[in-house]
Amino acid sequence: MQAAGSAKRLYIYTAALIVTAIIIWFWEPTALVYGIQRGSLYAVVALPLALILGILGVLNLAHGEFLTVGLYATYTLFRNYGWDPMASAVPVSIILAVVGIGVYLLTVRQVLKAGHLSQLLITFGIALVLSELLKSIYTTQPRAVFTTYSYAFTRFAGVRFGIYEFVYLAIALGVLFGLQLFLKKTRLGQATFAVGQNPTGAAIVGINVRFVYLFVFGLSIAIVGLVSAFMVPRVSVFPGAGTPFTMKSFALTAMAGLGNLNGILLAGLALGILEAIVNAIPGGAGWSDVVVFGVLILVILSRAFRGAR
Amino acid sequence: MGKKAMIIVCILVAASLPLYAGPYFLSVFNTIFVYMSLSLTWDMMLRTGQLSYGTAGLFGLGAYSSALLVAKAGVHPLLSIVLGGLFAGVVAFLLGFAVLRLRKIYFSITTLALTSVFAVVIRNLPRLTGGASGMVLPSALFSGDAAKNYWMVFALALGVIGISLWLSRSKTHYAINAIRNDEIAARSSGVDVFKYLLFMFVLTSSIQGVIGAFYAQQYAFVQPEATFSMNFLLLPLAMALVGGVYSTSGPVVGAVVLGVVSEYLKLIMPYGHLVVYGLIIVLVVLFMPRGLTRFVARQLARRGRVGGADRAALGN
Repeated sequence: MQAAGSAKRLYIYTAALIVTAIIIWFWEPTALVYGIQRGSLYAVVALPLALILGILGVLNLAHGEFLTVGLYATYTLFRNYGWDPMASAVPVSIILAVVGIGVYLLTVRQVLKAGHLSQLLITFGIALVLSELLKSIYTTQPRAVFTTYSYAFTRFAGVRFGIYEFVYLAIALGVLFGLQLFLKKTRLGQATFAVGQNPTGAAIVGINVRFVYLFVFGLSIAIVGLVSAFMVPRVSVFPGAGTPFTMKSFALTAMAGLGNLNGILLAGLALGILEAIVNAIPGGAGWSDVVVFGVLILVILSRAFRGAR
Repeated sequence: MGKKAMIIVCILVAASLPLYAGPYFLSVFNTIFVYMSLSLTWDMMLRTGQLSYGTAGLFGLGAYSSALLVAKAGVHPLLSIVLGGLFAGVVAFLLGFAVLRLRKIYFSITTLALTSVFAVVIRNLPRLTGGASGMVLPSALFSGDAAKNYWMVFALALGVIGISLWLSRSKTHYAINAIRNDEIAARSSGVDVFKYLLFMFVLTSSIQGVIGAFYAQQYAFVQPEATFSMNFLLLPLAMALVGGVYSTSGPVVGAVVLGVVSEYLKLIMPYGHLVVYGLIIVLVVLFMPRGLTRFVARQLARRGRVGGADRAALGN
């Protein structure tokens, strides 16, 4: 899913990011650590959105709401059966895959050929249905799951910081590696790659395009479920918890460029660190939300003005 | 002829509502007209083929600018409503040079992001705007007189309907239809695409600003969460979809139907009654892309064995 020559650019960006990171380490070490942690989370949530956008060509505006469904599923397993959130990761992924496939079959599949207006509207409607259903089941009261390990911390070079959220970096690397392996080495992955490049051509050479779409949608939502289980120990669970992730994910996808999965991790780290820096500036805490939207708007506009849509 | 008479009767009934209806009904219809106007503006922008998610953003800008003018500069509330619309229009004009170069999902997502940017910026200027807790104005518009407020919003809604009708008879109508159907073809036929997009964007944004300003003055209150609420995007959008997009009658009918339905729903399900809006959006896109009015009209036509010529809506 990468154009020729982008590997070189990837190294340049990586090098730039590492240099920046070292500079920030000396200036504000905790900002760097938390930036990397948050950034990995943004990236791993963005990967499935990018996958659906890249292969199906649908911008899933309900992305964040699927994440919220995952959070509530994990919370419910904890409350009713006492399952540890980390142990729920697999069952929650399966639940989310089923939910995702159901939503896909009932709605998204019908508008694949209907143009972007219908797709934007229908995923927006799905987002609303999911969040309002959660509201009517769980009310708007925030819930939390407390685990002993989620606030573990360590000291490194005289700086004290929480380590639990490094799990996001591990998941991000794992998911990224797994996806690359899947796309390059498996038959279904190669078919997926082909559908992403040219659905008509893929259909002509005998690829079951409809199955690939179904599979990609289910897999993407399953990844969202996996992440949500690991988020539960650290976030408060409420009906709007996942909503901001839709925009953040799209921002990263736009930054990386469509089809550039490695770029999403880099973009995520950059965005996470930038946010952490803004938060570290006195009085800047309230402005960190603007960072995401500002970056998103700038990236989209700069692409438009360079003529690449 | 029957149609014309019916419209006149509707207008007369609506205009005389304060004479016999109680305060509850007045407030319900007041809200319906606010959403109806927003719905029409959203639809007018959609007629150019651009799906805007920024309705709530321009609404909020108009609301805040008008509230600030009254609270900090002592401007007359009615004048502040005009200025609120003007401010939203100027912002739309400046943003338009950048945003209107975007198409499809990029336009939609950018307008959605702009709404959040406006809200966050306003929340982070507590000295000017009152921050997250908002701002209460010294007195409401017309001292809170329900009948006068109702007539005001009714007049605004009639004005927006008028603009929408005028647009569908003007040269602009052909230009924006051409842009929606095939932008490249429109451009090669000599349509100045950017000019028309900018005109529509500024026009609809100014109206949204005026409605927002009126809303703020009527309740004498602005607050980031409430003023930039997604409801000001969501409800108009659902109303236009239900009534049928690319028309004046669609948003009008949709607003009345959904407005009345939502009042009922609020009573029977306090949590999550918006789920119905979500379902409506999904179902309309799936099964009635031409909207309720055209769906019903077609059913009637079929019953009367009169073939109706439908144009595919949303089908680009």
